[in-house]
Amino acid sequence: MSTIPSETDALVIGGGIAGLQAALDLAEQGYQVAVVERQPSIGGAMIRLSKVFPTLDCASCITTPKMAAAAHHDNITLLTYTEVDSLTRQNGGFTARLTKKPRFVKEDLCIGCRLCEYACTSSMEDEFQGGYSGLRAIHIPFSNAIPQVALVDENACTLCGQCISSCPTDAIDLEQKPQTLEIQAKTVIVATGWKLTPIDAKPQYRGDSIANVISPLQMERLLAPHGPYGRVLRPADGKVPDSIAYVQCAGSRDATLGVPYCSRVCCMYAIKQAMLLSGAVPLADITIYYMDIRTFGKGFEEFYQNAKAMGIEFIKGKVARITENPDRSVKLRFEHIDGFGQVEERQHDLVVLSLGMLPGDNPGRMLPIETGNDGFVMLPHAKDAPCNTGVEGVFVAGTATGPKDIVDSIVEAGAAATEAAIYMKQTGITSNKSESRVL
Amino acid sequence: MTDLEDTQPKPENKKDEPRVGVYVCHCGGNISDVVDVEKVVAEAAQLPGVAVSRTNMFMCSDPGQKMIQEDIQKGLVDNFVVAACTRSLHETTFASLLARNGVNPYLLEQANIREQCSWPHHGQEAATAKAFTLVRAAVAKARRLVPLNPVRVEATNCALVIGGGVAGLRAAGDLSKLGIKVVLVEREKELGGFVRRLDALYPDEEPATALLSRLVEAVRTDSGIVVHTNSEVTGIEGYIGNFTAQVRKNSDSKAGEIRIEAGTIIVATGFRSYQPAKKELGYQKLSRVVTLADFNELLVASAGDSAVLEFEGKPVRSVGFVHCVGSRQIEGVHKPGENGNINRYCSRVCCTATLHTACRLRRRFPDMEIHDFYQDIRTYGRGHEDYYEQASKSDVIFHRYRAESPPRVAKAPAADEYNLLITVEDSLTAGEEIEVGVDILVLAVGMMPADNATIIDNLKLASSSDGFLQEVHPKLRPVEMAVNGVLLAGACQAPKDITESCASASAAAIKAAAILRKGYVELDPYVVKVDLARCEGTGLCVEECPLDGALHMVGEGNERHVEVNPAICNGCGCCVAVCPTRALQVSGWTLDQYEAMVDAIVADPVEVSS
Amino acid sequence: MSETNLKAPPKILILATSSCGYTGADATGQAHLSYPPNTYIIDVPSPCVFPENFYYRCLERGIDGIIVMSCGVECPFEGAYERLAAKLDRVSLGLKKRGIKQGRLKLCSVCTVCTKAFLKEVNEMNDLLIKEQEESS
Ligand SMILES: Cc1cc2nc3c(=O)[nH]c(=O)nc-3n(C[C@H](O)[C@H](O)[C@H](O)COP(=O)(O)OP(=O)(O)OC[C@H]3O[C@@H](n4cnc5c(N)ncnc54)[C@H](O)[C@@H]3O)c2cc1C
Ligand SMILES: Cc1cc2nc3c(=O)[nH]c(=O)nc-3n(C[C@H](O)[C@H](O)[C@H](O)COP(=O)(O)OP(=O)(O)OC[C@H]3O[C@@H](n4cnc5c(N)ncnc54)[C@H](O)[C@@H]3O)c2cc1C
Ligand code: SF4
Ligand code: SF4
Ligand code: SF4
Ligand code: SF4
Repeated sequence: MSTIPSETDALVIGGGIAGLQAALDLAEQGYQVAVVERQPSIGGAMIRLSKVFPTLDCASCITTPKMAAAAHHDNITLLTYTEVDSLTRQNGGFTARLTKKPRFVKEDLCIGCRLCEYACTSSMEDEFQGGYSGLRAIHIPFSNAIPQVALVDENACTLCGQCISSCPTDAIDLEQKPQTLEIQAKTVIVATGWKLTPIDAKPQYRGDSIANVISPLQMERLLAPHGPYGRVLRPADGKVPDSIAYVQCAGSRDATLGVPYCSRVCCMYAIKQAMLLSGAVPLADITIYYMDIRTFGKGFEEFYQNAKAMGIEFIKGKVARITENPDRSVKLRFEHIDGFGQVEERQHDLVVLSLGMLPGDNPGRMLPIETGNDGFVMLPHAKDAPCNTGVEGVFVAGTATGPKDIVDSIVEAGAAATEAAIYMKQTGITSNKSESRVL
Repeated sequence: MTDLEDTQPKPENKKDEPRVGVYVCHCGGNISDVVDVEKVVAEAAQLPGVAVSRTNMFMCSDPGQKMIQEDIQKGLVDNFVVAACTRSLHETTFASLLARNGVNPYLLEQANIREQCSWPHHGQEAATAKAFTLVRAAVAKARRLVPLNPVRVEATNCALVIGGGVAGLRAAGDLSKLGIKVVLVEREKELGGFVRRLDALYPDEEPATALLSRLVEAVRTDSGIVVHTNSEVTGIEGYIGNFTAQVRKNSDSKAGEIRIEAGTIIVATGFRSYQPAKKELGYQKLSRVVTLADFNELLVASAGDSAVLEFEGKPVRSVGFVHCVGSRQIEGVHKPGENGNINRYCSRVCCTATLHTACRLRRRFPDMEIHDFYQDIRTYGRGHEDYYEQASKSDVIFHRYRAESPPRVAKAPAADEYNLLITVEDSLTAGEEIEVGVDILVLAVGMMPADNATIIDNLKLASSSDGFLQEVHPKLRPVEMAVNGVLLAGACQAPKDITESCASASAAAIKAAAILRKGYVELDPYVVKVDLARCEGTGLCVEECPLDGALHMVGEGNERHVEVNPAICNGCGCCVAVCPTRALQVSGWTLDQYEAMVDAIVADPVEVSS
Repeated sequence: MSETNLKAPPKILILATSSCGYTGADATGQAHLSYPPNTYIIDVPSPCVFPENFYYRCLERGIDGIIVMSCGVECPFEGAYERLAAKLDRVSLGLKKRGIKQGRLKLCSVCTVCTKAFLKEVNEMNDLLIKEQEESS
């Protein structure tokens, strides 16, 4: 564990794929970067996915190397499980006040051996696995977490002390207190990401009360090679589903929910999951209810057409209501737009709500930057300065400026790093403009 | 804890052989609870080449590291084996420990006795036997390690940007501000690319001229950027750090060829618009069928307060837009283009561009009839959905067609109110065939890759199945090409709007700057090396190598041999496998090392009781 | 194969790619999933480096089974996977000619979190070799 610096060139808020890429690009320019991540591991949402569209490569396999590259980079310091309390401008730079939350495990001593997990007597839900499996109160967040350091969940821990004696390095300290830190930075990159629309956002969909109506992130875990069951089962009763449905735009493009925008990734992730499902449960029928299929990116339309050719059914129809049948299957009531606009009903064993993306945080609360009506960070010159917040020295990358997929987040991260690097160069040197040589 | 220093004289140790130090970790019980670490240490001490063999509770801890450091300082050990956790966790820890103490960091080999031994295996005897075997294999390799150094390639501090659209302009500006010299080559007389044809731009309605003058100004006034307009790249050769391009200047006054030396190349050649086939949707047959860009220009030309839009001397009362022209094509329905392919992809910008135009048309002509023929409305981006919303609310009439049956276009009978008659099976009205009259039909033609033949042929670049340039990794490395040192910006990689083109241009700029910043590029040393004494000049390796330019033959007759360009070789080793004389080896991973490891593994029977 | 000591378990050599198979094996260990200890994993950036005779040599020297755990089509080395697959096809034919069971060499893809695939490959190879040992004794 490297020591925490009191000064750095760039402070990156958020250790998802966008934040990590921005940090790596700046570090490669020789700048010192501190990445602040509020979760116990870096990796953001991407490390939780099963496989990624449109290449269908394994999400862990392509995320872990980026996480490791950031962790091992000489110019990068990772501050996990740390919150940004405030950021104030001072002497042309920024002073960040941070709180390192107590892990109840000393980061520099823990070697990630998990002996404490085996000794621990109390368990809790594993959120990483969609709540489908359990964790001990003291645990390493997930198998490829970085850092591989345990933490104690305060709510689950019974203070029995079993772990303390099992730890070979005496790393466990159940008395640990939050720690306040201060870091000076010349520039800030906001990469606070997104969060999923709550599953109960649309009451008509009853996502909170019907067990077989699940979120797409839960499905990601069911499909992951190292997921909770190792196969796809219906959460209500462990049945192998024969018929699975996706409800598109669940929570997006819906002014009544205050989310008029398109979440941009849900068409693609639904098709991806449908394709993976046709491998995992080959006999199941899969239906996708949609308004418009938005497969606009490179290779996306081809992906969509392949899914159609594989027999995945696409129905243009707006789902109005979802109810549960006595056998725990799920009834969808929808307007069948391609079928005379009639209202129809269909039954499915399992329904996934293609939930949208909301801002991961409101960075406006710690920085003088503006957010739009949609809650995402505003860009005064989106077209030619897509990462510039308009506030001197503050840049933004990834889904903090609106829904987008991994590759678009990575591109923006590079752009934000460029802007930050230029900003640091320009504040250090006076501009040397002169006539160009047009030849 | 066991500490064994040269316990026994080993007659087989030759004087000039490296002395190996073995360091076995207990990992606080994680290893030692299952593996008899003391036994492994004692056995390792007996192995040929081993000078010291020690253990520590935690090799990665300060005391553990100090143990190694002391051996270095006392000059006891040349090459190192750490038997502990997996390489990915602490390789950097131990390698930098060596480096800090003046030892080449590549003289390290690790034996993975935790993740691949003590954790998955349970019987102590079996696990201990395996741990020792793994250590023995690691020692076998360590005895054959040699110091390595990163491949260093000198790099010209200059980036060549090909294409002066928004992407090329943004990339050039950024690079210069990052301290890199730039040469920008644009084929046309003017900078700006396709955006020069546009007027107000989505998503913020800024006029294209304002955006372009900002970008062009920044480039034109920057002394670090040399701009060649009216110029074309006619040839490029070289590799990362050292490219040479021939550029032909076409302007009448200063025609001629120039040579440009560059360390990296940023390709920003953009797109060309799909040219509808003759008679496709009436195009070129009926003068009232136009492309979206043409229609935008018509709108600009007819600017003013006039309450009517005129076309061919007649007022326009009804306008139709057709989406996906030349995009989302289907085998059997659409005819392949000149390249023999259909365009299966979606062109990404045309839905928003179309609805943006429809909204502008509506604002100027509140009474005009506007029809929109679409398959899916893909207003995905920030602010894009607002145009769809606006259009729907302001009486733009949407008709949804299926790819298999695109709208049909005919000249309307003279008696009809409108000039053109569009027939479409509208799935929004249950697939019924309906007829719609319009005065102008606007085709939202898609994006096609620019003609990049010269660049592709010269640099052996890959294109995707859709014809656009192919990035090296579609998720993680979207602005780099497989050919090291060649980067991508803007719509040449895939259809993109301005925001996305500029983002990719900036992203490409920082990758280029990382290459050129120091004046040299440092690459992994794991590339192929030739043993000239062994090379018989068969050239089999050159044929086998997947990367163009990594290997080439030089000399004649007996002197004929292979030469490696370490800036291109990626160390895949394909060539190694076909060399009949073992003249080629991947540094750090040689066949001799592998064979020695295998021999160490089979050296004696495994003692296992399960 | 060693004929003197029939009880000795077969030795399985696993050539695992650094970016996929090797990490997959680590993940299996991290999860404390158990598999036979007579397995020896060697980290290989690109298994394409091995000439055909490397495989014969391993088997001659006393390795009983070889599993090449690659990244499959996600191989980070351009064009290498195709060459590897073709090469192993040739070696497989070569084994047949030499009267060696072709199943003793296997190419598969194991990704960084594919613990189940890893276990399956290892166990299958182990079972096959043990069965062969029993048959030959
Ligand atoms: C179900 C589903 C499936 C998907 N599948 C795919 C796919 O197959 N392919 C694809 O390309 N995309 C997919 N996506 C989209 C993908 O997840 C995003 O593009 C990607 O995660 C964006 O990365 P990010 O870094 O912007 O945000 P995030 O991954 O959200 O990272 C943001 C990080 O910032 C941290 N953070 C937030 N606020 C603070 C704060 N105040 N202080 C400190 N840290 C903070 C968060 O903890 C988080 O770690 C999918 C999305 C969903 C919902
Ligand atoms: C009808 C329409 C409307 C649009 N409206 C909008 C909008 O409102 N808002 C928005 O954000 N986006 C809009 N777009 C998208 C926008 O046009 C593109 O995002 C943008 O043009 C891409 O920029 P570029 O630099 O990558 O490519 P281009 O604009 O194509 O520029 C490429 C440049 O490279 C030059 N070049 C090509 N080959 C060579 C060579 N071999 N040597 C030298 N020079 C070469 C070309 O001459 C050209 O100048 C619209 C697109 C269309 C089709
Ligand atoms: S806290 Fe202790 S027992 Fe738990 S993982 Fe860390 S070092 Fe191991
Ligand atoms: S991406 Fe698809 S499902 Fe998601 S909001 Fe947009 S149209 Fe709806
Ligand atoms: S963006 Fe819209 S019009 Fe353009 S190809 Fe895609 S779906 Fe068709
Ligand atoms: S190692 Fe691979 S890339 Fe390098 S020369 Fe040999 S075949 Fe070519």
